[in-house]
Amino acid sequence: MTPTNSKVVLEAADICVTFGGLKAVDGVSFSLHQGEIAGLIGPNGAGKTTLFNALVGLQKLSGGAVRLDGETVSGLKPHRIATKGMTKTFQNAALFPDMSVLENVTTAALLRHDLKGARAKAAAVLAQLDLSPIADADVADLTFPQKAMVEMARALATEPRVVLLDEVMAALTPSEMDEVMDVIRALKGEGLTFLVVEHHMRAIMALCDRLIAVNFGRLIAAGTPAEVASHPTVIEAYLGHGAAGQEGSHA
Amino acid sequence: MRFALKPGHVVLLLFFIAAALLPLFVDPRGHLLRVAAMALLFAAMAQSWNIIGGLANQISLGHAAFFGLGAYTSTLLFLRLGISPWIGMLAGAVVAGLAAALLSVPTFRLKGHYFALATLAFAEVLRVIANSWADLSGGPVGLTVPFLGTQPLSFAFRAVSSYYWIILALLVIVCVVFYVLAHGAMGYRLRAVRENEAAAEVAGVNTFRVKLVASVISAALTAMCGTVFAQFTFFFDPDSIFSLSGISVRMAMIAIVGGLGTLGGPIIGALFLIPLEEVANAYLSSRAAGLSQLVFGLILIAAILIQPRGIMAFFPKTKGKTQPKAQPATEGARG
Repeated sequence: MTPTNSKVVLEAADICVTFGGLKAVDGVSFSLHQGEIAGLIGPNGAGKTTLFNALVGLQKLSGGAVRLDGETVSGLKPHRIATKGMTKTFQNAALFPDMSVLENVTTAALLRHDLKGARAKAAAVLAQLDLSPIADADVADLTFPQKAMVEMARALATEPRVVLLDEVMAALTPSEMDEVMDVIRALKGEGLTFLVVEHHMRAIMALCDRLIAVNFGRLIAAGTPAEVASHPTVIEAYLGHGAAGQEGSHA
Repeated sequence: MRFALKPGHVVLLLFFIAAALLPLFVDPRGHLLRVAAMALLFAAMAQSWNIIGGLANQISLGHAAFFGLGAYTSTLLFLRLGISPWIGMLAGAVVAGLAAALLSVPTFRLKGHYFALATLAFAEVLRVIANSWADLSGGPVGLTVPFLGTQPLSFAFRAVSSYYWIILALLVIVCVVFYVLAHGAMGYRLRAVRENEAAAEVAGVNTFRVKLVASVISAALTAMCGTVFAQFTFFFDPDSIFSLSGISVRMAMIAIVGGLGTLGGPIIGALFLIPLEEVANAYLSSRAAGLSQLVFGLILIAAILIQPRGIMAFFPKTKGKTQPKAQPATEGARG
């Protein structure tokens, strides 16, 4: 499923993040091809969110490099990396609580437009995600799935090439998840590249072209969803030592 | 930008008209007009503060630094070089703007209380310098603006009403600047910074630049207020012009009590607090030492407890709000 013929847009080379003496991310390398949906999986505390923060510039690297289209972006501020075309959504939707949905998305659209253009762009993104009816709603009044979608709309309003989705489907019902996945697939069709952190294995397996598994800050497996899900080290990471072989069909 | 006249704007407009007419109906040399002028000046100061304090929630407790720089720059330029305080006012704005830019580099990494303490320290440093570097500043005895009668080009007038109208004009200018910033692209970005700095960055907002620009504008406007204050009162010294309680905290307090981040908040706050303080002083200061401050403090505490979002929160809200929910100055990235 990996579109090996398309070019690499995001390259993570030997990324390290250290908190004091703790290596939260320890030499992780991978690359994403354009138009690909890759899943980043691993148990709680494996370093997924830290890795996301390192990629978008919220977290300083202690080693390694992040390259977007071959250009090194590690060391840049997050807004510079957003300008270069990579952004992320936040776990637990970090929307601007005192702004309306449209204002939230407009703020991000200001990256590439003046205010008038940004409003139009934001309205277009909201329409694309079927969010127009709640454009004027207060963020505080939204449901979880709506918040997740607005979070995604805000990311898209920066007109990115690579979007990192940090658990946008947490707290969604299966049917809501299907809707979000349809949106992500449609955007993939437009050439966007996604790296997805998600705890719902059903969503991950259905959505992703490729999986990257991490544990204790290290990359432990990469490949097709089926390969990674049946990888003994991955099963062991999720289910504990000795589980490999017995529970091979689950991850 | 679409412009729609909202009820709040009509009220504000009526207020400005009424305020402009006030000197025609009260004793032009009376105490009332002086208090009214002072209330309007503090409204302008609090509105200047509101640009960075309210819109971006960077609670500065050191804006007396910029206020004092404005007063000292214009007065020293006039006394030493004979330069008109009108030009001195602009020079003071530039000096304060530069000071704000310099201060931004170390302080913008700080959050909440730490930012407040760093700005507080900056104003204190200037106070100490002004007290000890007498060759430059005139030292602890302060500076006196010479009385020139009425010389409009030298920012000198006999009538209190002239100063009153200048102060009112300054308030209008500061309010217009605030409105344009709050409702333009800058306003979106500042509110994003206020509400979640990490998310703002990831959404493409250059948070440092946004805060820097707002801070410089805020400081420059505050310095202009400082010049007007010096001309109006004819005298100031380091301890009063760089005062923590008299200037810095009062600016913040007026905006917070009136309604943080709102256009009307600083005006309502100033019209409430400045006369209140005046009344408390007039009736209570002769009874017992500190009684007037005690009563004033109690009323402040009550105001904040009753309505943490400020007096403006009592009014029905129109759309396109700029006011934050009641929240402490500290905020964290929840990413």
